[in-house]
Formats: sequence, structure tokens, C-alpha cells
Amino acid sequence: MVFPKLLTCFDQRGKGWYLSPTTLRNLGSSMGKNSKHLVLTSRRWVNSYFVTHFSYYEKNTVCVICFCFFQEEIFASSFAAAAYLKSIDFPKDKKVYVVGEDGILKELELAGFQYIGGPEDGGKKIELKPGFLMEHDENVGAVVVGFDRYFNYYKIQYATLCIRENPGCFFIATNRDAVTHLTDAQEWAGGGSMVGAVRGSTQREPLVVGKPSTFMMDYLANEFGITKSQICMVGDRLDTDILFGQNGGCKTLLVLSGVTTLPMLQNPENPIQPDFYTNKISDFLSLKAATV
Amino acid sequence: MDGEDSKPMAKEKTNFQILSPPNTRDLVDSVDAFLFDCDGVIWKGDALIDGVPETLEALRSMGKKLVFVTNNSTKSRRQYAKKFNSLGISVTEDEIFSSSFAAAMYLKVNSFPIDKKVYVIGEEGIYEEMKLAGFDCFGGPEDGKKSVLFGSNSLFDHDKSVGAVVVGLDRCINYYKLQYGNLCIRENPGCLFIATNRDPVGHLTALQEWPGAGCMVAAVCGATQRDPILVGKPSTFMMDFLLQKYNIPTSRMCMVGDRLDTDILFGQNAGCRTLLVLSGVTNMETLKDPSNCIWPEYYTSSVSDIMSLSDDR
Repeated sequence: MVFPKLLTCFDQRGKGWYLSPTTLRNLGSSMGKNSKHLVLTSRRWVNSYFVTHFSYYEKNTVCVICFCFFQEEIFASSFAAAAYLKSIDFPKDKKVYVVGEDGILKELELAGFQYIGGPEDGGKKIELKPGFLMEHDENVGAVVVGFDRYFNYYKIQYATLCIRENPGCFFIATNRDAVTHLTDAQEWAGGGSMVGAVRGSTQREPLVVGKPSTFMMDYLANEFGITKSQICMVGDRLDTDILFGQNGGCKTLLVLSGVTTLPMLQNPENPIQPDFYTNKISDFLSLKAATV
Repeated sequence: MDGEDSKPMAKEKTNFQILSPPNTRDLVDSVDAFLFDCDGVIWKGDALIDGVPETLEALRSMGKKLVFVTNNSTKSRRQYAKKFNSLGISVTEDEIFSSSFAAAMYLKVNSFPIDKKVYVIGEEGIYEEMKLAGFDCFGGPEDGKKSVLFGSNSLFDHDKSVGAVVVGLDRCINYYKLQYGNLCIRENPGCLFIATNRDPVGHLTALQEWPGAGCMVAAVCGATQRDPILVGKPSTFMMDFLLQKYNIPTSRMCMVGDRLDTDILFGQNAGCRTLLVLSGVTNMETLKDPSNCIWPEYYTSSVSDIMSLSDDR
């Protein structure tokens, strides 16, 4: 396989694999010093390295963005929500109300946005006594709704009040997955339920920034001054990762260390063909990039 | 007998009229039974709307039947009767048709098997009505205290004998319930998904609106990707019970409510007269908005106008 100047996005599902800071640096140097590369990974902790590593890599013209894109649930679109707000120049003096977990909060913080809500509000209860009025911050300019295991009535009402009563308030959904694979054994109710609930009370359609919206690809292409065909989507699922990459106009690389096997890929009934495939991510890491 | 979906039927635009002395008297004379919604019509939270008790009393003294049809499933019929009485209005259980009652009746008339269970995402009202109807149910308020443990190998177990998941307004909604309902609906063959109602918001307190059952139902739809069977307004499922009890043609009934897409639509679907009151969730702006296509026969500011306008000479 040959990888000319490409952005590559890694999916975590190659089991037992993660990118350490050392690996990231090695990856950078194996790519070649003067090539621009974006490496997107899906390990949550890597997000916290974003700020420190970004400047390092930029110096060597290897840009590293740690970004949890393809693990649908918790991490995935947290970054997308923050990126969207950045792309519309969301005012820094406005606040974001979050119906979601730590991932979203961390990304908003990294992007410099003020937020309220999140898991903390999961402990809040409502007592509908006579004369009770629930207040809400009129300075909230966006409500971001995503997968939330601490979901409750207080949050639905807070989000509803902001969306209905704060003029111009955005309603952003990080993802609308019906189910998610939190554990290997079974499916779990996904972000689609939380988003459904807030749609239910506000009767407004949200702006979806995570999959299957291709917002993130457009954002990255724009941010780094490249075309989408210079982005390579790496994943282990044909009907989500690869199809998503193709729909977004990106190159696609299928990794056979996860859900999809070679027989499945080569099955004549399979309509989805990636541009490349490899057995495991480490094969890729050991390659030196050829310049085109 | 089925519950219905909530799509409005095509209707020609008619000019909705404001209640005035002549048409009010005509309306009252031509109606034998008044069907009242509760939240935003009779009360807001625990506060009675002005003039309601006197109006209801006056209508009764004229020999009119009073029926209360509410989508709020948090109380059973018995609990609603108690609330009415505590507010000084004399109403009997059998004059009340709550969506909690509707859900239990749906299962009854559709011969829900005795050996199956009902999982409730909702409050006391649904729970009580299910038990009264003889169904084995669980979930409800108790599951509001449960949380989900996420170990890498934890398996979220669910009862395979659940044959119906009933969803209504649930102020103790949480992830545990969503997931439980999700698994039952997805994995138990033939499991019914019943919604008491889909109101987005309602006046649970006097000062503001609060998210309604529409949220909880939408959350379960979001996870299961299935549409529910709707038993509350605007479905006319409850109307059959009303007709059995009162033996009055629907053309001589008037539905009085504050929501266009539930109360008024219900009235129209059933062939009743319809009166919108502006004391609840709907205001003039919403009524006159070009995107609105549900028009009541009449509208007025509140229930008390029914008597005050017909007395006007």
C-alpha cells in the first residue's frame, strides 16, 4: 500500500491497540518530515494530549489531532459539537447547555467555550410544588444533546426552556444512534433517545454534527486546507465506517482486525468496497510513506 | 379495537368563531355532554382556573353530562377524583377518562394474555390502572431509583415475559428505564409498545410548561426505531368507552380543550363540537399561524365564558 500525503483516521476497534505519545511521534517521523498528515484516533485519553502534542507536531509539519470519531457513542461526536460551534464563531460570552457526558464537556473546554449542565445535572431532582418556577440561564446560546447515561427530567426541562425561550438558541445533536455497543454482549439505548426526548418537547429538529453527517470531514478538510479525497477513513465496519467515508468523498481503508473478515469483504453479495484493506493497523505503522 | 396514529385528518378550513352571547347559548342548548381536558382548562398544576367550579355546577344544574378526558397519565381515575374533590369540585371516578385508564383498557379489550407482564415507563397513575385491570406490571416509579452498572462484562438483564411496554409522562425518567423498555420491545417477540399520549409539553404547574409524555415516548422511539400504539388524544380509542357509558351521539358532545393537535383533533375525529380555550398551551398566535391546520369550531379565553356569555343578555 502506498500512502501519499494523506490524512488518516484510525478506528479503535482493532483490539488491544492504542497509540501512545511515542507511537504518535514515530508515526509522524515514519510519514516523512515535510508531509502534512492528520492522525485521528479513537482513544479518549488521547484527547487530553491534543493541546500539548498539536504544537509539537505542527512544528514538524505533522499535525496530530486526537479525535474519537468512529466509536459511535461517548467520544465520537463530542469533538464534532465543539468544532461546529467554532466553525460558526459561537460567541465566547454565550454558554452551552450540555445534555451529555464528560467527553462533550472536555471538548468544549478545550475549544474555549463556557458550559453548564453535563453529568452533574444528573443528580438534580424536580419537585413540582405550587408556585414553583424553574429558572434557566438566559445566556445559553446552544444546547448540545448526546448520549447521556445520567439523563433525567431536570435536563429535559432545562434544555427545553433554553431552546424555546432563549432567542436564536441552537439545538445541536452529537449523534442520533438508536443503539450503541457499550459492552460487547448487547446493544444499549443510544444518543438517539436523548435527542428524541428533546425533539419531543421542543418540536424542533436538531442540527446533527456526528455520524452520519459528514460535517466533521468538511470541517477537517477546511481546517487543514486539503480536499476530502486527501482524507482516509480507517475502520472495521463496511456499512458504517467505510460507507460513511465513501459518502464523505474520502479514501477508505478497511482493517480486518475487527468486525469484518476477508471472506465477508470478498463475498460477491457485498456491495461496499474500500479503496484499501489491511490486516491490522500495525502493518500500516511500519510502512514508510512514499512521496508522490 | 385499535388505538390510532396521531396524524390529523384532512379538513377544509372553516372560520373558527370566538364565543359570543348568541352562539354560546346555541352551543349550550345543542350539547348534552361537555368533555373537558384538565391541564390548562380546569387547572394548572394544583391551581384551579378562575370561574371553573361555578361553570361546571351551572352546566350540571342544566342537566348536562360532564366528562373529563385527560392525557396526563400520572394519576389514575381514582386519584383524579380525589384531586377534584380536594379542589371543591364534585366528580366521580367514572366521569373521568384518563390516558392511564385508556392504556389498561387497551390491553383488556385486546385480550392481553394473563401470563404476560407489563413494563411501565411512567408514574403511579398507569401502575394503579394496570393493577386494577388485573395485569402483572412492574417498573414505574420504583425503577426511577435504579441506575446502570457498566462493567466490561455486565449484562443488562430483562424479563422475557414482558408482553407490553407502556410509556407515559415520567418525571423520574432515567437511562435504566429507557434501556429496559428498549430491550423488551426489541427482543421480546410480539411485545407491544403503547403510548398513553404524545403531548410535548403541558402545564404541570401554574407558572410554566413542562415536558410531557411526548418526550418519554420519543426517547423510546429513538432507541427502538418503532412507533407506538397511541391510546390517548387525539386517538379516539377512549370515545368507545364514553359512548358505552352515555349513549349520547357524538354530535351532541362538545370537546373543550387547550391543545389543537390533541383535544381539538380528538373532538373532530370523533365527530364532536369543539371549543378551544386560550387558558393553556395555545395562544391566538398559534391558532392563527399559517402553519396550523387544525381549527376548532369555537374559541374563547377560558371555560368560565361558557356560562358568562350565555347569561349575557
